[in-house]
Amino acid sequence: MLELDGLVHEYDGARAVDGVSLTIPDGEFLVLCGPNGSGKSTLVRHLNGLLEPDAGRVLVDGTDVSDAPVAARTTVGMAFQEPRDQFVAATVGGDVRFGPENLGLDHEEIDRRAANALSAVGLDGRESDRIETLSGGERERLAVAGALAMAPTYLVLDEPFTGLDSPARERLLARLRDLNADGTGLIVVTHDLRDLLDDADRVVCLADGEVVVDATPGDAIEKLTEYGVRVPGR
Amino acid sequence: MLGYEPGDSLAHRLDPRTKLAVQLAFAAAAFAHTDPRGLAVLTGITALALASARLSPISIVWGYRFLLPLLAAAVLFELVTLGPPWVEFAAAVDPLLASYRTLLIVAVAAGYVRTTSARESRAAVQWAIPGKPGRLLGAGVGLVFRFLPLLRRDLAAIRDAERARLGDERPTRERLRTVGAAGLRRAFARADRLAMALSARCFSWNATLPRIRFRAVDVPAVLLAVGLGASMVV
Repeated sequence: MLELDGLVHEYDGARAVDGVSLTIPDGEFLVLCGPNGSGKSTLVRHLNGLLEPDAGRVLVDGTDVSDAPVAARTTVGMAFQEPRDQFVAATVGGDVRFGPENLGLDHEEIDRRAANALSAVGLDGRESDRIETLSGGERERLAVAGALAMAPTYLVLDEPFTGLDSPARERLLARLRDLNADGTGLIVVTHDLRDLLDDADRVVCLADGEVVVDATPGDAIEKLTEYGVRVPGR
Repeated sequence: MLGYEPGDSLAHRLDPRTKLAVQLAFAAAAFAHTDPRGLAVLTGITALALASARLSPISIVWGYRFLLPLLAAAVLFELVTLGPPWVEFAAAVDPLLASYRTLLIVAVAAGYVRTTSARESRAAVQWAIPGKPGRLLGAGVGLVFRFLPLLRRDLAAIRDAERARLGDERPTRERLRTVGAAGLRRAFARADRLAMALSARCFSWNATLPRIRFRAVDVPAVLLAVGLGASMVV
């Protein structure tokens, strides 16, 4: 379980996240939305200790993230907004192995995790492909595979659909549905809710660093348009 | 510049330690044998190295074309005089041989870069230099190999964006300043994002390194490295 308790984060005195408290149970499919600059990306970077809170705390399975950052980063996998920023190898296989290698696992376990992660995102058999040759949708799926290879309990995806055409978006979403059905908790950061509301368990909307909506998708729809979130059919 | 490409050439199959040894021995030999006969032998070895990596000399010249004006300048400075006789061929021989020697070293290094992944280089460095210094150097080498292609792509993107708005109509000095300043800003921003992505995937100084092992195919290359080393003493 992930718990945020009065989380505050400031950039040069300006509050990007302003006293957010949330509890995210295992296996939940949570959509975190809000207009540009509402603090979504800052908030999720606290979930695995990439940022230090100015106040408040983040607990992963009851342990403060700042006390055990490595444990938090294996529990909460993250794919960043721009996949290209997070690739650290020239090939698909090299990149997906990077995380498990850092955990000091043996070669057999690294191979197994890499194969499983690539299979989960539909990139099996592409290990020796150069990352530069992948399409935008495939890069996004590789970013997800890189996070999955850490065997996380939760997967955080920051704006995963940006720049993807409809088929690529649908392919990625199908993979995410499968992962969630297998028990991986999903936290999808977006400002565009197309296709997500049918699958999400919960929608949280931030505005000016504060939670302004926290409801089931059905209940959230009415309120979201007020905060600049694109809601399908509205 | 050339980067790593996965493949199945002879050089790809060599142990990275063997390739590193050949490269170091070659560079040392190139500084020891500066006469035309020595350079002729080294030219033959360079041709072998390029063939084993399936690289053409043209691709090397094109890939490192930015280096050519510097090498040519060294020759021209000695060749041309500010008064009669205006041209001194004899004075230009030594810089010509030195420039050619540099080109040979670059070509052999390009063969290494093209056929060795950052992970393998890191493993080879850490094998050669045990303990903490080796870990630091190995991880550093790995990061440089990973970061340089990203920087190069950023600079190309900035240059294209500048051209798209007719930036190439501006004076060279101004264009250099624009690309340089934007490139620096982007390099720092990218370094920040890469550091965060590395943290998210538990970057470790003690990561599991890829398997590297000497095989029969390494024997001739090791003998070549030993021969080059011995040629400096004999």
